[in-house]
Amino acid sequence: MPTDPGATEDRIRVWDAPTRLFHWSIVALVFLSWLSADQGYMTVHLWSGLTLLALLLFRLGWGLMGSTTARFSDFLHPPRKVIAYLKSGGGLLHAGHNPASGLMVIALLAVLLAQVLTGLFGNDGLKFSGPLALLVSDDVSDQLTRIHGIIFNIILALVWLHVVAVGFYHFVKGDNLVAPMVSGKKRRTRVPEGANIIFAHPVLAVGLLLASAAVVAWILF
Amino acid sequence: MASEPHASGYLSAPLYLLCVALVTGVAIATAMALRPAFAHKMLEMTGLEAMPQAVPNSFYAARVAPLFAQHCISCHGETRQKAELWLDSYAFVLRGGRHGAVIHPRDPKTSELMTRITLPAGDDKAMPPEGKTPLSPDDVTVIRLWIAAGASPTMPAAAIKGVPQLVAEVTFPDLDPAGTRRRRAPLANVMQQLSARYPGVAAYESRNSADLELNAALRGATFTDTDLKAFLPLHDHIVHMDLSGTAITDASAQALAQMTALQTLRLTNTKTGDATISALAALKSLKFLTVTGTHATGPALAPLSKRGVTIHGDGDAD
Repeated sequence: MPTDPGATEDRIRVWDAPTRLFHWSIVALVFLSWLSADQGYMTVHLWSGLTLLALLLFRLGWGLMGSTTARFSDFLHPPRKVIAYLKSGGGLLHAGHNPASGLMVIALLAVLLAQVLTGLFGNDGLKFSGPLALLVSDDVSDQLTRIHGIIFNIILALVWLHVVAVGFYHFVKGDNLVAPMVSGKKRRTRVPEGANIIFAHPVLAVGLLLASAAVVAWILF
Repeated sequence: MASEPHASGYLSAPLYLLCVALVTGVAIATAMALRPAFAHKMLEMTGLEAMPQAVPNSFYAARVAPLFAQHCISCHGETRQKAELWLDSYAFVLRGGRHGAVIHPRDPKTSELMTRITLPAGDDKAMPPEGKTPLSPDDVTVIRLWIAAGASPTMPAAAIKGVPQLVAEVTFPDLDPAGTRRRRAPLANVMQQLSARYPGVAAYESRNSADLELNAALRGATFTDTDLKAFLPLHDHIVHMDLSGTAITDASAQALAQMTALQTLRLTNTKTGDATISALAALKSLKFLTVTGTHATGPALAPLSKRGVTIHGDGDAD
């Protein structure tokens, strides 16, 4: 596992490419999923949802075996630590996710996973049914479709909170979190001294993504 | 991996939160302007939008709402709101869906709902969609007339002229095999014996009934007064009896008087007369009586006729 391969004089690499690609792919796919459902393009919605599912499975695996800042062990903290962090007004620097944003990541992953799973069993009341809708009764499928709609509102609320928090760091604390999620690099002054980030090999990410896609294909076929 | 931060931003926290509130407010206002359904939902949540209700005996409640319930609300109701359109209450019907109102009172031609339900089957935008039960031409007429009359929630059902008649809905009681078995149990032994002795003469009125029909007409003259007496143990279960062409005489008058559940009795071409007709006065359930080819006379039949029994034939055979 190479460490800090893209480090420069004033910037240090904190996010690996798979994590960044995952982040922006999720942004695009959540928007596409909403748009396709809204406009009635259910085939697009299906494939968008299945791609989301594959990416979420990938992210769960990457959270266990990926780079340091992508791992759950790096950003999952007990509630008292999260509360203490919030009370401190974002006191300490973190190379990756801070305790509050770590909690946000977990919440978003959980609701997105719940969203794609309910979508698999849902239907649009017309000609479209999720790939697993036939495994449950019509009533259960209808109920899960309702939950699918409710979860979307929760996703909207979490996205709003996420964006507001990122804006807070940028405008109030002077910490641009968006640029590092694009380039992968943070200013050295925003990373704790002596941070030791180990990056997982990209081949591992590719393998994990293929395995996730295979799981989705198995569900589909 | 944590240490103290150094840099600070260019907005104070309260100012930033104020900006967030402004931007969020503008975003919500924009969404409300672009999405009427969202606007209605927000206004309803804040109590700023009235929710008119239809009067129970109105034309809407009596004729229009049942059509929406039957054909539309599976996709535009509580469970699902395709295109954010709810058709399960008057307020929601008038409110419309994602793209605004679907009904323009007094103007069915520009009402999106009318356009959709009159598109030819197979059109992608036709409603109800392919695979669902379509609205009948009469149903479409009912909705069109209601919109043309102002799409009112209070207009009485009889106020709109030229509306197709409402087709009565017929419902059948659910079968209750256990209940039927229980009611038939006391008759089982007698029915078994009589069925062996008189095959096909007595049968249950329906699968769900313990009432009996007795049809002796096929046995003709071989069925006598003695044979009828054999059925007396079933006297309070026989509701229909056809004795046409049998050898029944007035000797069966007392036996018939005991058939207290009898509703229909056919005595066509029997040797019965006024004695039998007089005995039938005791049968309070009797509704139909056929006396063609009997010796029954008008004066004897008069009390039954006066009581409301429908009588076919005039008796007086010679």
